[in-house]
Amino acid sequence: MRLLFAIFALILLAAGAITYWTQPEKRSEVPVIYWVIDPAPARPEQIALFHQWLLDQGHGTTHEIRNREELAVFRQRRWSAAMRAAIAAGNPAGESIFDPNAAVELPLTVVAPPVEMRLDSASNDLYKKLVQGVSGVAGDVIECYNGGQQMQFLASGGMLADVTESAKIHGFTPDRTYPALVPSLFYQGRQYAFPRNVAQTMYWVNLEVFRQHNQPPPPARWTLETFEEHGRAYVEAANRDEPRRQWFFADRAMKTELRRSLGLSAFNETLTVCTLDDPRSAQVLALIQKWTYEDRILPSAADRASFETEGGWGGQSFQLFRSGRYALFASGRWALMLFRRFGSMELAVVEPPYAILPNTVLSGGQGTVFAGSRHRTFAELFLAYMADEPYNMQIVRSGDALPPNPAYTRTEAYLRPPDYPNEWGTHEMWSTAAETIAITQSFSPYVLPVTVMRHDRDAEDEVMNNRLTPEAATQRLAAHVNDAIARNIRESSRLRARYEEDLALQAKIDEARAVGRKVPAAWIKNPFHHRWYASQGWLEDAEPSHAP
Amino acid sequence: MPLSRSQTRKLAAGLAFLGPNVAGFLIFTLFPLVFSLVMAFTNWDLRLHNTFTDESVRFVGFANFSRLFREPDFLKYLGNTLFLMMGIPFSVAGSLGAALLLSQDLKGRTPRARSLIALAILLTISCAALVVTGMGASAVLILVTGVGCLVIALGFGFGQSAYRTLFYFPHFTAGVATFLLWKRLYAPLNGPINNALRPPLAAVTALGRTFGPELWLGLALLCALLAALLPLFAVRRLSRLWRDGEAGWLPLALGTVAILVPGILWPFWTKTTGSTACVAVGFLLALLLLARRLRGREFTCAFDRGLGPVLITCLGGMVLVFALLGLGNVLVMLPLAAAAPEGIPAPEWLTQYHWAKPSLMFMGFWAAIGSNNMLLYLAGLSNIPTELYEAADIDGASRSQRFWHVTWPQLAPVTFFILVMAVIGGLQGGFEMARTMTQGGPAKATTTLSYYVYIEGFETGHLGYASAIAWTLFALVFAVTLFNWKFGNRYTND
Repeated sequence: MRLLFAIFALILLAAGAITYWTQPEKRSEVPVIYWVIDPAPARPEQIALFHQWLLDQGHGTTHEIRNREELAVFRQRRWSAAMRAAIAAGNPAGESIFDPNAAVELPLTVVAPPVEMRLDSASNDLYKKLVQGVSGVAGDVIECYNGGQQMQFLASGGMLADVTESAKIHGFTPDRTYPALVPSLFYQGRQYAFPRNVAQTMYWVNLEVFRQHNQPPPPARWTLETFEEHGRAYVEAANRDEPRRQWFFADRAMKTELRRSLGLSAFNETLTVCTLDDPRSAQVLALIQKWTYEDRILPSAADRASFETEGGWGGQSFQLFRSGRYALFASGRWALMLFRRFGSMELAVVEPPYAILPNTVLSGGQGTVFAGSRHRTFAELFLAYMADEPYNMQIVRSGDALPPNPAYTRTEAYLRPPDYPNEWGTHEMWSTAAETIAITQSFSPYVLPVTVMRHDRDAEDEVMNNRLTPEAATQRLAAHVNDAIARNIRESSRLRARYEEDLALQAKIDEARAVGRKVPAAWIKNPFHHRWYASQGWLEDAEPSHAP
Repeated sequence: MPLSRSQTRKLAAGLAFLGPNVAGFLIFTLFPLVFSLVMAFTNWDLRLHNTFTDESVRFVGFANFSRLFREPDFLKYLGNTLFLMMGIPFSVAGSLGAALLLSQDLKGRTPRARSLIALAILLTISCAALVVTGMGASAVLILVTGVGCLVIALGFGFGQSAYRTLFYFPHFTAGVATFLLWKRLYAPLNGPINNALRPPLAAVTALGRTFGPELWLGLALLCALLAALLPLFAVRRLSRLWRDGEAGWLPLALGTVAILVPGILWPFWTKTTGSTACVAVGFLLALLLLARRLRGREFTCAFDRGLGPVLITCLGGMVLVFALLGLGNVLVMLPLAAAAPEGIPAPEWLTQYHWAKPSLMFMGFWAAIGSNNMLLYLAGLSNIPTELYEAADIDGASRSQRFWHVTWPQLAPVTFFILVMAVIGGLQGGFEMARTMTQGGPAKATTTLSYYVYIEGFETGHLGYASAIAWTLFALVFAVTLFNWKFGNRYTND
């Protein structure tokens, strides 16, 4: 038995040693940085472009190879496949530099990327990011989703690096992206992120099904009443011979956009109080309930559960839109990546319906740098790469949302992709909306966005299940969020000091508004209220400031 | 006395074997356990207190516990947890039933097995006939029949092992895969469950439209009458136990309260005044009967004697009374529901507030039948001495008497163990199902305490508060287990 025990102990030791020696870091000739993100098909190309971009920007390391022996040694060094490809692409000898049978002209100067980027899609879950981050072992570049929501969460934990200064050095300052998106890159007045892609949700229109049911296609901009009229006419025509409602006008309503179109945000001007107990919030819930259960132009939760078992990227919603089950599909430009697989669909894009203020929510993925990164400069260079042409044009080609830099939405490749003429005319809609009516999300530093989201979802559930009236549900929602704010203020002295300042500012705003006086844009911290105040002529400044 | 060299070597070898296990226990169990207890008394928030921030964690005494008990949703989450636990008795009964079935000899040589095979063939032919004549439109029916035939054929070929494997299947199937499968089964419009429910619901709708409301009201009153008689019977039985010294004051009082709870709550839910009157009269009679029989006790006993079995029986009775009264309500409402243009709709299961919890409970019930509980019962059944059955046969015991007087008492220790483990598992459970299938919704209907720990610990990073919830849950589990141990174990040893 003791012998057996000793054997097992030896096997375990050997396995440990093998694991150690085969660690990726040990197999690379250069430092490795990790990009924590989903494993979308475009990632290998984006990483290869980054390696190439480093060489093009003069960040490469040079290797002098004078004779056959040095060439053999160079070939035997621990270059990964990605690095070999980058070296081959960036040198005149091309791939032959790694081919033992190829004749290479010597002496030769080879340039190699100074760092290797690798994908870490296994740690993409928010809580893994948080736990790994606070433990000091997170990836170097961390993708944060939902237009700043995750960034706010992680930055509030101190695990993201402040990149304000390096953005100036490497050229990924906020002026390289959409003005409306700028507030979402900042946390407590400092830049922590640069957009990886820019998303906003509008309705894709399947023009074929409108023609099939002899219905006019929807206008590009429409009011709530027009949306409802079109919707009722459409479902009436589409479901005429059906025993039960099977064809819906749209897959869902856009709650945030609806609230904002009525002039309401989740928070007040200084983000100190949740304002979702406003009657307009209840009005939106009542409207969604009406559209779902009375007009039946939107599917109920039961309809959706029957149609699809899985949502998200590549989920069945896309198939349902393609088959015409939903005539309108609320999604971003990134949906093109899937639509292109379906073949040539006849598509159009329309804005979300509005009451007073047409708007879309500007969001998307953001690149951030882990504060504990051992290769922080390289990670920051990756953010600079995301502001530059190779990366932006890759986004343009792949159809993955909007490129981070709006300059590339004015290219012919963006506006009229030669392989997809069926999409012509839709691309302008996205870029125009992003530069005209889009507003980024409103996050309060005093409460976690996930808390607001959870209570918001619960309030909607309560109304849809007829357990509470819209008024009662929104009252409860605001009470829950404001309780959470009060608790967080009590817990953190740092937050408390800032909160007091913001409350004083809010008092000044309220006082000014009570007597009908205009307020300086700098007082307003909620990006929605910037736009709202500007649209109502309540700002002292002529143009709303996008500064955080 | 000093150890000899050989003893020292043996001791060292033993310690070397134990070492890894002890170290693993200390590092991965004991330390986290103690650490989480300490955390429960701190304000540790992962975002505010970590290596990158300068705010320090501080002790807050019982503030986390106080916040938990003031949290308006805490009782709701506790209620959700307890609701899902209502499936435990059914699961245990199901496991026992499965074990009893699987302990039978079903091989092809016996006449019973032959008749089962004949039934399978008949079902297959019926299935084919339905398809041929165009009447087999319901794919679910064909599927169920096909699976049934397959199961029977497997049993014929491989005997009990095939059935045991099949019954144990849910236990070693990956949880998430099972949950996704059930999500599909529960699809409201086109899921197999609702597809199967629609024909009977259409039939009930037709009945509701055919007969007038008077008939349904009459049936509802019948239910109320049965519900009123049940407490009378229960009180009679309770008082007899008390007089015979088999139950003390405590079980008598608690049992009576449990059985009378539905009657107290009924006025809030009732749809007919007639049923309220019926129930009120029945319950008053039960109280009068109790008052009359609480005299002249023949044998005395400890005040808490028989608490476990009495409480379990009375809680079972309470559920039955609730079920009867609920059925009465359904019958009263039937004509109204049947009058709707679309008839009586099938449940929307996971997407409807009132059905989400039962949906998870049914799924848990399915998974529990063929779980380790069934294996434990199978082991327990194989340990019952055959002499007991032979003696029962000689005494002329019927099949049910053999079960109630031999099998059931002999399985009492196993049942006790299963119940204790199921209650512990039930209090801690519900997270995986809710996370995968409902995200705790709709409107928090399926958020259990364990899910709440997850939300606070991992969604918002409130580690101190999450630990306090976890330790409160532990205290609850501990208290219930102690109760089970004190009262249930005594019954087991009887």
